[in-house]
Amino acid sequence: MVEEISEITRLTVDAGRTAVFVEKQLSDKAEIVVEAGARVKHYRLHEGANHALSVKIGQGASYELVTLHKGNGNLTLSFDLAGEEAFCRSDVVYMLSGDRKSLIASDVRHNADNTVSRQLVKGAVTDKAFATFEGGVFIPYERKKIDGAQQHRAILLSPDATVKAVPRLEIYADDVKCAHGSAIGSLNKDQLYYLRTRGIDEADARALLTRAFLDEVFDSIEEEDIREDFKRLAVFEK
Amino acid sequence: MSAWLEIKDLHAKVGDKPILNGLSLTIDAGETHVIMGPNGSGKSTLSNVLCGNPNYEVTGGSVSFKGQNLLEMSVEERARAGIFLAFQSPIELPGVSMSTFMKYALNARRKAAGEKELDAVSFMKRIKVRAQALDITDEMLKRPVNVGFSGGEKKRLEIFQMAVLEPDFCILDEMDSGMDVDAVKVAGSGVQIMRSPERSFLVISHNTKFLREQIKPDHVHILARGRVVAEGGAELMDTIDRDGFAGFIKEAVA
Repeated sequence: MVEEISEITRLTVDAGRTAVFVEKQLSDKAEIVVEAGARVKHYRLHEGANHALSVKIGQGASYELVTLHKGNGNLTLSFDLAGEEAFCRSDVVYMLSGDRKSLIASDVRHNADNTVSRQLVKGAVTDKAFATFEGGVFIPYERKKIDGAQQHRAILLSPDATVKAVPRLEIYADDVKCAHGSAIGSLNKDQLYYLRTRGIDEADARALLTRAFLDEVFDSIEEEDIREDFKRLAVFEK
Repeated sequence: MSAWLEIKDLHAKVGDKPILNGLSLTIDAGETHVIMGPNGSGKSTLSNVLCGNPNYEVTGGSVSFKGQNLLEMSVEERARAGIFLAFQSPIELPGVSMSTFMKYALNARRKAAGEKELDAVSFMKRIKVRAQALDITDEMLKRPVNVGFSGGEKKRLEIFQMAVLEPDFCILDEMDSGMDVDAVKVAGSGVQIMRSPERSFLVISHNTKFLREQIKPDHVHILARGRVVAEGGAELMDTIDRDGFAGFIKEAVA
């Protein structure tokens, strides 16, 4: 059952509960507690100005976030894997245009054993926009069987667009699997040429390749209506 | 009045390296031409220059296509004017399905012609008929373009795109390479079905068996060092089979 909610400030998902939240309007600051064994999917299609979200994930609980960010402020995400066998997925798509300047900061803290985190951040930046992604993964001393993965990929669609990636991996434990990668590039020239040889205008070819690049995040959303809503809203703001 | 396609004294380079050195070639509507030549003679450069690939710089000569100055047109304008290249190495498009690709390509033509977008039913009909003829399954149309396909499947999908877009001038660059015997037959029959008095083909290949059996050309051109050094009918392929390109290369140097 999909629930539409607005302006979360504090929300506790009771133990064992399964919920899908679509957040329509964001508050400046939200705190979510996912209690033991609960399973939450959290979809954020719209954004306000500066926004901070912190989530605490209890034992055996699962929290999955997909958020679309257009850079009308900064986005601060923090995830506390507080109970054993907690799972966190936190995927971000950012699309910045005009002269927007935005910091996307994420912090994933593996504070319990046997915890798993997955993060895929994909960005498209055009015009004179400037995006900074600060991706932190923190694994304290003596934690066991930790599995973390963070991937950041961004494409620059204009010569004046900028993306800065600042990975912060702080790993103090040994029993850890942690994959990390970041890549920033332009659209592939061979792909653009191929599309144009079929009669597609350069502008449409660029839009199609950008769309395909970002869709990797949306295509993993199981709920079809929500997936299509994301794709419809994932356009650059004027 | 100039010919349907007229290439005159064409010079082109990649980076600092000249590849085409005064190539001239004329093709009329409804004809099938073959270009043969040793590696590095400029065969693929010619097909890329005709399509407007930005990696190649034209340094001299002219190309007119149906009365238009081709060299002044953008890549997409040339495509919409009816030029199609079946790539030697088709490009992967992760995240873009073949049906989405073809929808964009067809609608781009209609938009340029001031027509409405194709409705879903007409689009599916156009796709399905051609897919069936070329042994292309629905699953292949839904998968990302050229990602994870075999060499032969990629080439078959190039012919499929050609069939969907119905271009006037089809350039096939090494279409038979990477294909097994059956796949070559399917692709060859695709070409044969598309033959018409208004449509011409320029086929680049080394494979005289494939050319004789599947393409049946009217004209054969031998390219060496960026120029056409010999022209003739299908019988020119017999000379190639017997003596190779050595004799022609000498002529190019002389």
